[in-house]
Amino acid sequence: MEEKEFDLEQMEKETEEMLRINMLTPENAKFTRTAGGFVSLETGGEKYPRVQVVRMFPFTDPGHFISIRTTEERSKEIGIIEDMSSLDADTRKMLEEQLNLRYFTPVITKIINVKDEYGYAYFDVMTDRGECRFTIHMGGSDVVHLTETRIIISDLDENRFEIPDVTKLSATERKKIDLFL
Amino acid sequence: MNENNLNEAPKKEEPRVPKAIRQIVSEKGAENERIVAAAATDMNEACQYADGFIVLTEKHLFVFAAESESREPRNFKGYLSIKDMERERDFDWKCTVFENDSIKKLKIEPQVAISLLIMEDENGIERVACVFSNLHRRKMHKFVREFDRLPGREEKFPEGEEGAPGKEKHKLPIGGHGPGGPRGFGGHGGPGGPENEEDEYCPICGMMYPNKDRKVCPRCIDRKTIFVRTFKYFARYKALMALMVLMYLLVALLNLVWPYLNGTVLYDYVLTKNEDFLLSVGIKNGDFVLALFFVILTMFMARLMGQLLTILQGVFTARIVSRVVCDMKKDIFNVMGKLSISFFKSRQTGSLMTRVLSDAERVAGFFIDQVPYIFIHAFTLITTFAVMFKINWKMALVALVLEPIAFIFSFYIRPRFWNAFGKRHRAERSINSQVNDNLTGARVVKAFGQEENEENRFVGTNKRLKDAEMSIVGLENYNTLVFSFAHGGAGILIWALGAFFILGRHTMALGVLITFTGYVSQLDGPMRFASWIFRAWADSMNAAQRMFEIIDAVPEVTEAENPVPLEKVEGSIELKNVTFGYEVNRPVLKNINLTIPAGSMLGIVGRSGAGKTTLVNLISRMYDPEEGSILIDGIDIKELAFRDLRRNVAMVSQETYIFMGTVEENIAYANSSATKQEIIRAAKLASAHEFIMRLPDGYNTVVGASGRELSGGERQRISIARAILADPKILILDEATASVDTETERAIQTSINYLVKGRTTISIAHRLSTLRDADFLCVLDNGEITERGTHEELKDLKGTYFKLMELQTKALALRE
Repeated sequence: MEEKEFDLEQMEKETEEMLRINMLTPENAKFTRTAGGFVSLETGGEKYPRVQVVRMFPFTDPGHFISIRTTEERSKEIGIIEDMSSLDADTRKMLEEQLNLRYFTPVITKIINVKDEYGYAYFDVMTDRGECRFTIHMGGSDVVHLTETRIIISDLDENRFEIPDVTKLSATERKKIDLFL
Repeated sequence: MNENNLNEAPKKEEPRVPKAIRQIVSEKGAENERIVAAAATDMNEACQYADGFIVLTEKHLFVFAAESESREPRNFKGYLSIKDMERERDFDWKCTVFENDSIKKLKIEPQVAISLLIMEDENGIERVACVFSNLHRRKMHKFVREFDRLPGREEKFPEGEEGAPGKEKHKLPIGGHGPGGPRGFGGHGGPGGPENEEDEYCPICGMMYPNKDRKVCPRCIDRKTIFVRTFKYFARYKALMALMVLMYLLVALLNLVWPYLNGTVLYDYVLTKNEDFLLSVGIKNGDFVLALFFVILTMFMARLMGQLLTILQGVFTARIVSRVVCDMKKDIFNVMGKLSISFFKSRQTGSLMTRVLSDAERVAGFFIDQVPYIFIHAFTLITTFAVMFKINWKMALVALVLEPIAFIFSFYIRPRFWNAFGKRHRAERSINSQVNDNLTGARVVKAFGQEENEENRFVGTNKRLKDAEMSIVGLENYNTLVFSFAHGGAGILIWALGAFFILGRHTMALGVLITFTGYVSQLDGPMRFASWIFRAWADSMNAAQRMFEIIDAVPEVTEAENPVPLEKVEGSIELKNVTFGYEVNRPVLKNINLTIPAGSMLGIVGRSGAGKTTLVNLISRMYDPEEGSILIDGIDIKELAFRDLRRNVAMVSQETYIFMGTVEENIAYANSSATKQEIIRAAKLASAHEFIMRLPDGYNTVVGASGRELSGGERQRISIARAILADPKILILDEATASVDTETERAIQTSINYLVKGRTTISIAHRLSTLRDADFLCVLDNGEITERGTHEELKDLKGTYFKLMELQTKALALRE
């Protein structure tokens, strides 16, 4: 009987924890740069030597709902930053660096050549990081349409490339990737 | 007595019975009694086909049996016509009369393929009242229901502890809720309401419909109507169609001019230097070089124009076809969406896919590739013959003689084409189903090492498709052969006759012969078409008929025409005498009575197959109960708009479905206007947030058919989040935590505990621990509620629930 009581209490506590959405604001959270180039966080009396910065809606709302998480594999959420623009410039820059690292995706600016052969498509493209050549699997779902015009391409090793707006490509370029549109 | 009659003033119509039967009923002392129910039977106790009849009056039950075995052929569904049912039978009826009060119980006992009506008398002795094939099963069930509803039966022979509900049942139709009483009972017929028998028969041929809910008679399905209906799809594009036909006509006209230019003008006028001709077209000085130049230029222009027009016409065709095919597919898809669950359960997925994907194209193809040509070719045919007759009627006659042979022949083999196309469709369907099966079940096939067997299975289906295609090709070749013979023969005859006229009689110029043969070859198109049209017609109409089969399908669960608006829902649920079965003979739920007050939580436990899922399916109106009714806030759910019902009743079931799209879209499926914060909160409540955040793209991760694979537990948690976000007043959890580990289950359990506040919740679970917070529980066994009460009450009852509890505690002890 006693055990049951304990159980319930424990569960109540877990529920509380589970349901709580902990919003991080400049008032209750202090981010600092670590020596290793990462970010540490001090909030609610706890100190986290290194935190992960993760977007909840990386495609549809990259500037809002940023989850700050612990670094272990089964990471736990420490809190949420609802709006990046509410932070001071320094912190924002610090976090954005982390985000850029996490969400590194070259943007395709020009399509040089696309060739498909035996189930694979060979891409030769110009990106904002220079020319890239990669291969994707045709049968799978390696080309994801985020919207009508925005495309994410993942290659065989899941490297990502983005075309933010296919309509901005020239007609000849569009023709080359027509198969994926 | 008088009063009685008055009460029955808007008397129900008596069921129709043969006159001879009615007479015997009267003779046997029941002339003043109303016939309450009647049903035909078709077997005797010796298991021979023999006609019979069973009639229920207010006080008596009459069982009729023909004296001898019937020698007539038996018509079952598909052959049975209304005439069979109406026919007066002048058998020597053997009649047995029972007093209703001497019968304790009537029940139907299904055998494998026939059923027995069993009668139990006051002494508990059971005997066979009659034997009938499944053809009469439905009627017989109605008969038994009518018998049970006879006034006074409940008092006299109360069934078990359920004595009272009978009274409620009679009150039901006049009860204060639902304005206008129950309506929209779908195809099942309301309790006691006589079904209109004629509705089940085709009005044209009198045959019984194979499916009573779909009033299409496969025998009378009019191929012409199919044609007209298909044509309506094209009618929307009148302007384009008109343009297209115009192009065709212009091409035909140009073709008509061609042989004349090429033959008569070139050879007989210009090359033979005919001065009159030159003058008639206005060229003087006998300048034949100029004339030749003009003729060639005209010929060139005619060809060029012809080509251009053909290209234009091709463009129009492509436009119309793609639009029409798109419209057709849309219609099929829309109808499929509206159909009830039972429709999908009774058909192969592959067959449905074929219908959506290829049938529409086949249908449209015919209308574009063939129909316009009917006019064009008819036009060409008539004008060409007219011109030919004008040039030389003897030769025209010769050309005409052989051609009809091809036409008649292809008309004659038309039914064989129809069959061949049907066969190909079936083969395609099974190959599609099999591929579908194998692709979706790839894991099972591999796990059991059945690749080779599957291959062999495929070889069989594949061969069937090949054979079907071959037989079509064979027929086509046959057709072409006859056509070539007729047409080629005509050509040779013309040449021979022409040579005779030119060389033998000198009555014809060479140019005329060349013109003439030009016209004969002009006939090539129309004749080939004529030999082809019947094949194409068969193919297209065969596909169209299948397409309309879907478009015409009627959902079994239909929305009320004037639904009762449901604005603020309290969430109380009441089930009154609910009986339901997927098949007529096998009720899954039997006379369920259940009241769930608003805001409370009901737990349902029971063995697999006890009817738990069926029960909640009825509440969310996936099916309609056969008898009885389900009320939400006192309103029959049949009176509610689907939208209101689905908005207020959310279900998390054991079958989770993740749509193609992002996690965010999947959670917001039922509430697309939800804010991001609400979505995150719902995910948190469903313990889904953490795993979602571990996905690379968070809430924007694409999941579903072409996206990332989620585990069973993850899918389950997303569907719980979906239900939470839908914020329904009534929440149904059907084994919601079945496919998650114990730890996650506990997490979900806590969120559910939070969730059920302020909602009516029905929770089905195998694990009793899941139900510890239920306000009350009921144990469902074999379609009946055997125990009900709170957790404590059931524990003290020491029944099924207690046993289950014991078992699970022991199992738990073992684990620890």
